[in-house]
Amino acid sequence: MSQQATALPPAAEAQHEPGYLAVSNVTKRFGAATVLDSLSLSVGRAEFVSLLGPSGCGKTTLLRLIAGLLAPDQGAIEVGGRDLTRVAAHRRNIGVVFQNYALFPHLTVAENIAYGLRAKGVPKGEQAKKVADALGLVRMEAFADRAVTALSGGQQQRIAVARAVVVEPSLLLLDEPFSALDRKLRETMQIELRHILRNLGITSIFVTHDQDEALVMSDRIAVMNEGRIEHLGTPSEVYARPKSLYTMEFVGQSSRIGGVVTGGRDGIVEIDTPFGLVRAPGHFLTGSKVVVGVRPEAIAAGEGPAGEYNTVRGTVAEVIYFGSRTLLHFRTAREGDRLHVELNRLPDTVAPGVEMTVRWRLDDSRVFPAPGGADR
Amino acid sequence: MALFGSLFCRLVLGLVIAFLFLPILIVLTVSFSSSAVFAFPPPGFSLRWYASLGKADSMLQAVWLSTQIAALSTAISLVLGTLCAIAITRGMIPGAKAVATFMASPLMLPGLVLGIAFLQAARDFGLRDTYSTLLIAHVVITMPFIMRTVLASLSLFDFAMVDAARMLGRSYPAALWTVLVPNILPGFVSGGLFAFIASFDNYPVSIFLVDVRTKTLPIQLLNQVEMSPDPTVAAISALLILGTIAALIVCDRLVGLKRMASI
Repeated sequence: MSQQATALPPAAEAQHEPGYLAVSNVTKRFGAATVLDSLSLSVGRAEFVSLLGPSGCGKTTLLRLIAGLLAPDQGAIEVGGRDLTRVAAHRRNIGVVFQNYALFPHLTVAENIAYGLRAKGVPKGEQAKKVADALGLVRMEAFADRAVTALSGGQQQRIAVARAVVVEPSLLLLDEPFSALDRKLRETMQIELRHILRNLGITSIFVTHDQDEALVMSDRIAVMNEGRIEHLGTPSEVYARPKSLYTMEFVGQSSRIGGVVTGGRDGIVEIDTPFGLVRAPGHFLTGSKVVVGVRPEAIAAGEGPAGEYNTVRGTVAEVIYFGSRTLLHFRTAREGDRLHVELNRLPDTVAPGVEMTVRWRLDDSRVFPAPGGADR
Repeated sequence: MALFGSLFCRLVLGLVIAFLFLPILIVLTVSFSSSAVFAFPPPGFSLRWYASLGKADSMLQAVWLSTQIAALSTAISLVLGTLCAIAITRGMIPGAKAVATFMASPLMLPGLVLGIAFLQAARDFGLRDTYSTLLIAHVVITMPFIMRTVLASLSLFDFAMVDAARMLGRSYPAALWTVLVPNILPGFVSGGLFAFIASFDNYPVSIFLVDVRTKTLPIQLLNQVEMSPDPTVAAISALLILGTIAALIVCDRLVGLKRMASI
């Protein structure tokens, strides 16, 4: 399976016809709580978009609104130019893979897959052929007559996918489908599922709170926070050029260094931080409180040329070993902020308490306004 | 010591079983008696009381009435009770817990109280039809049995399955019918069986509601025992036992007694 992953068509975004799924200004309230606040999202045909966010950010609510299992208070939802806002769930032709798969325990594997075909009145002979094709798609041909309760988690997931795609839905929604699987299986299934869905050319919306899943699977990621989309972009955009501090901290690891802008020119600001003067690309007024974010892997040991690099000196506080890499927590004499530094190969001398110098490129730092004007 | 304990347990077990089954055995034996009085042991054996059942019109009418009332009230309770249980489980109504307790409350009230209440209510609403009054009362009597088992079944049911069925093209009612109903069938069968029996042998509520021409079986049986205490009642009891065994076998075939007992 892993070798198939490399054979995937590269960067399919260009082919995506934009606006296939159009969510426009959708608001959803539960009692006094506004779960989605005038949210809009446009997804291209055959695109795979993840809704990524912590629990309570509204991602599952958005999924259920698109499915028609909930009705929005305001706004509209269109698929392929058809307004679905007032259309009942069972007439939307949208497939869903549920978190716990929601397979029907009173039916066999084949009957589960045939359920949607029967509901749509597909003739018996055609049903059998389509079920067999769907079983082949998820490589479960040998299990057609088994009870679904006798299947493992990964097998159940395959059947859930087969059941959802066999009716050729106009859109596929996936609600945290990997959360019930163990880690090894999860990684295998992610790559396999991505492969299947790309081959089918099916437009997919994928809900997850797991950033790694979102990065691996998606054409684009919508990072959600408190009922809004913070950042919508490709995985590399979201990871390398996050639009907000929230996105930076939610996707991947990062260090944050608080400080005050003391000046700057040519699109580079100078910031006074506990680590000394740090320079980063951005436009901020002198005196504004900001936070500088840096990815751990962007930081290297040793000094760098002053024009392109920030170089800071500090003390190693903690060394965390991960096997292929090592994470250092790095702090200054002034208590407070910490830098997270990731090194692939650890110099022998590094241990807690040791003083060392680290550097990162100016381009690798992102500057955001300090949240809530906090004194950092 | 262990041997003695084991023997003692077996003895107690045997006594308990005998305590439960001897009355039934005695009724069965008496039903085949040749004597015209309710005597045990019977002086001789015959089938005359079974033959006399064919002529006991009022008794057969009572059996037919009780069967109708029990079947109809159980069916109505199954539909209404299941819909109500879904609303309670899904939190669709305010005070769901209180509603659940209320629906089960007829089980906690003495039947006499319910009977008097129904009699009074039927009068106040001007409901004179005995059959309808009996049916309404028996829906209330059977409801707690349905509610209890269906609520227990639903607590184990994953409602995402209903959503899945809807997304696959079934309307909400069709999704309930094709997914929810088959999955909580054991609950329906065991609840339905208890409900049917509760209605079928109800005496204290029905006694307030029957009239001379419309009598349920338990009331007719007691009348018969008072007026002519011959083994006809034993014969009819034997047939009821047979019917119950048949019903249990059917249920076992349908869903399995083990699954029913676990609800």
